Amino acid sequence: MATAELGAARLGPSRAMRRVVGAVTFLLPLLCLFLLWPVVTTAFDVNPRVFPGVGMVWAALVESVRDGSLFAHIGASLGRVLVGTALGILVAVPLGIAMGVSSGISTFLTPLFRFFSVLAGIAWIPIATLWFGYGFGAITFVIFNAVFFIVTYNTLLGVSAIPMRLRHAAASLGAGRRAMLTEVLLPGALPNIVTGIRTGLGFAWRGLIAAEMIATNVGLGYMLFVARDFYRTEVIVLGMIVIGALWLLIDRLLLAPLERATIERWGLVTRS
Amino acid sequence: MNPALQAWGYYARWTARWPGVAALVPFIPVVAIWWLVASLEVFPRAFFPGPAEVVRGFVDLTYKGILPAYLEDSVGRLLLGAGFGMAIGIPLGILVGLSQTAYRATWPIILFFQAIGDIAWLPILLIWFGFGLTTMTFVIVYTVVFPVVFNTVLGVRSVPRDLPRAALSLGAPRWRVLTEVILPGALPNIVTGLRNGLGYGWRALIAAEIIVGTSGIGFLMFDARRAGSATEIVLGMIVLGLLWYAVDAWILAPIERATGQRWGLVTRT
Amino acid sequence: MKSLEIRNLQKTYFDPYAGTKVTAVQDVSLDIREGEFVSVVGPSGCGKTTILNMVAGFLPATGGEIRVGGRPVKGPGADRGVVFQSFALFPWKTVLDNVGFGPKMRGVPKAERDRIAREYLALAGLSHAADRYPNELSGGMQQRVGVVRALANDPDVLLMDEPFASVDAQTRMTLQEELTRIWQEKQHTVLFITHDVGEAVFLADRVVVLSKGRVMRDIPVTLPRPRVWDEVTEDEDFKRLSAEVLHMVRAA
Ligand SMILES: Nc1ncnc2c1ncn2[C@@H]1O[C@H](COP(=O)(O)OP(=O)(O)OP(=O)(O)O)[C@@H](O)[C@H]1O
Ligand SMILES: [Mg+2]
Repeated sequence: MATAELGAARLGPSRAMRRVVGAVTFLLPLLCLFLLWPVVTTAFDVNPRVFPGVGMVWAALVESVRDGSLFAHIGASLGRVLVGTALGILVAVPLGIAMGVSSGISTFLTPLFRFFSVLAGIAWIPIATLWFGYGFGAITFVIFNAVFFIVTYNTLLGVSAIPMRLRHAAASLGAGRRAMLTEVLLPGALPNIVTGIRTGLGFAWRGLIAAEMIATNVGLGYMLFVARDFYRTEVIVLGMIVIGALWLLIDRLLLAPLERATIERWGLVTRS
Repeated sequence: MNPALQAWGYYARWTARWPGVAALVPFIPVVAIWWLVASLEVFPRAFFPGPAEVVRGFVDLTYKGILPAYLEDSVGRLLLGAGFGMAIGIPLGILVGLSQTAYRATWPIILFFQAIGDIAWLPILLIWFGFGLTTMTFVIVYTVVFPVVFNTVLGVRSVPRDLPRAALSLGAPRWRVLTEVILPGALPNIVTGLRNGLGYGWRALIAAEIIVGTSGIGFLMFDARRAGSATEIVLGMIVLGLLWYAVDAWILAPIERATGQRWGLVTRT
Repeated sequence: MKSLEIRNLQKTYFDPYAGTKVTAVQDVSLDIREGEFVSVVGPSGCGKTTILNMVAGFLPATGGEIRVGGRPVKGPGADRGVVFQSFALFPWKTVLDNVGFGPKMRGVPKAERDRIAREYLALAGLSHAADRYPNELSGGMQQRVGVVRALANDPDVLLMDEPFASVDAQTRMTLQEELTRIWQEKQHTVLFITHDVGEAVFLADRVVVLSKGRVMRDIPVTLPRPRVWDEVTEDEDFKRLSAEVLHMVRAA
């Protein structure tokens, strides 16, 4: 026991080192790409109206941080995503489970929700702006319905895919309606719910950017689209990088742990 | 006997015989409610047109030839984008899936560009290529490529190691291993990737048509929005939904079933 | 048919994550004459699969030499047929097309390779399953297809890695008897790897016992052929040999 602990302690720092080295070597190609960027823009003397140099993007970053506009845009976008997604999930999961409990109802409703999940997101932009006017309402509605339809549809599928024998087993072990819900239906459908959230959020994120280009005067999509009017490619590229980084953060910090905690842990799906 | 239960029993038997019915019947109450709400004018007419108006709009636009022409434009763009997307995505996915070196060299770059997302490219594409087919095709290709690449890589890696070995020891040259083993082994995943990719590409197309638009269903809807005509917006949404439903149910799902299920590689409900 | 010579074979795996080396095969020399059937037994992890993979050409050796018919092995080839423990049938090909795969790679025209495939399927009593897909067959049937697929390619050497480990006891006995029958007809050179001591003795001309990456013993089996389980089970020589080999494997 003591030797094992000693061994682990000795391995500790080198393992941490190896992780850092691993991360750096993993990111190496990306770093190369970023190093190549200024080389190419200066070597070929690229017109900044076509593609900006690194310095310009950096300057745009500094400027937008200093005048606070970057944070205003990020805040507006994230706020809409947060509200729309939270609302969507809160409505979708109970609804999906309620509909999925009876196999008759769920087979009846599946085509309906399939149809609407096909439309979910961007296709609602025109009617949303007609109903809610340009602004927060319309955009949040687009995000809401992207998440709502897809999560409901997946929850519905998830609940109806729970083997009957599991429900019978729980019932014969004395589970009441409540216990059936919390012990069998919810955990059983969770992998599908998580998949639904991932897909829905993916659609919502795109819907957000698209809607902000059309229907508002603050937000990352707006920032990009206005910059286009003035041929300010450095602002556009900055916005693209911010959008990419935010999505990576959402993906790594929110979605991946959620999947790891449910789907992979239970051995229902193996990710590479 | 309870008459409702009896009716349900008939319904269940009918739909078992004709599954197409099961896909259509659920829409009847939805349309009925829609019609009721619209005719009671719960919401103002201008915001919430009824089914009759939408049908009239459909007949009108079809008669004028606008709807068929726009539909053709949208589908054409989607097919073009999907074609290019697969032509890039499948080889790239196979390469990355097979070669550890290719994986190391490209994976973080692929992840990064995937994260930026298609629609965020629109502004700079507009500067580069202007309002036109190039911009839209670029966006769709960009959307389709990533799901195809991810799923192809997954598919290539999920081919059991013994299968290419078996082929080699039966005398297959390397390129035949690719066509006879790796590609069919990865096919169910590739189809899934295409299906996901088209789901995203479809939405990207609508966004691009709304923003870039000169024609297409997305443009039709946004043009109607500018004119404040809810009827045509709703019509556009229904056409989009039906079209995707048809593509998914009649083309993609059968391919998926024909490949994965008979081979026992995929079990789907 | 060709002979198989293994000289001072050695294999060291390198684990890049742990940064450690594992020597799976220390030093193995083994000669198999033309048309000879040799079984290799040994405890789990003693390097049996590693040896077979090197002979098949799937893995490079880190030392020593492998010759088939006097020529050194460089990568996989149609002269060595492999039967996998996992069957390794192509799920997207029918049974007929699986068996016809080797001839197809040689450029044999469709009609001719179908004829070959049907002939071999008949040999294994599988004619009725020709148009089915592998996942529509039972485990025993799948493994028979796996064996027949290797045979239909007419290899000089047959390499088998625990081919019958995952089928039930009755089917296994039938498969073993079929294998000896087919082998006596075709006279392949066979390297057969197994955990099952009875199987090793029943099938082989020689049983090689492996331990920690080395050959521990090499025992000739002189039971008369053709062998069938009903008779062999009662045979005193068989009982004695099996007990001896089992003892050595457990001591290994
Ligand atoms: N790819 C690999 N990388 C590292 N070590 C390996 C690898 N493959 C096998 N080994 C190691 O080599 C040794 C021999 O493995 P091998 O698979 O040849 O054993 P075996 O005799 O076939 O065992 P079994 O009877 O269980 O199939 C084992 O200790 C194993 O852990
Ligand atoms: Mg083994």
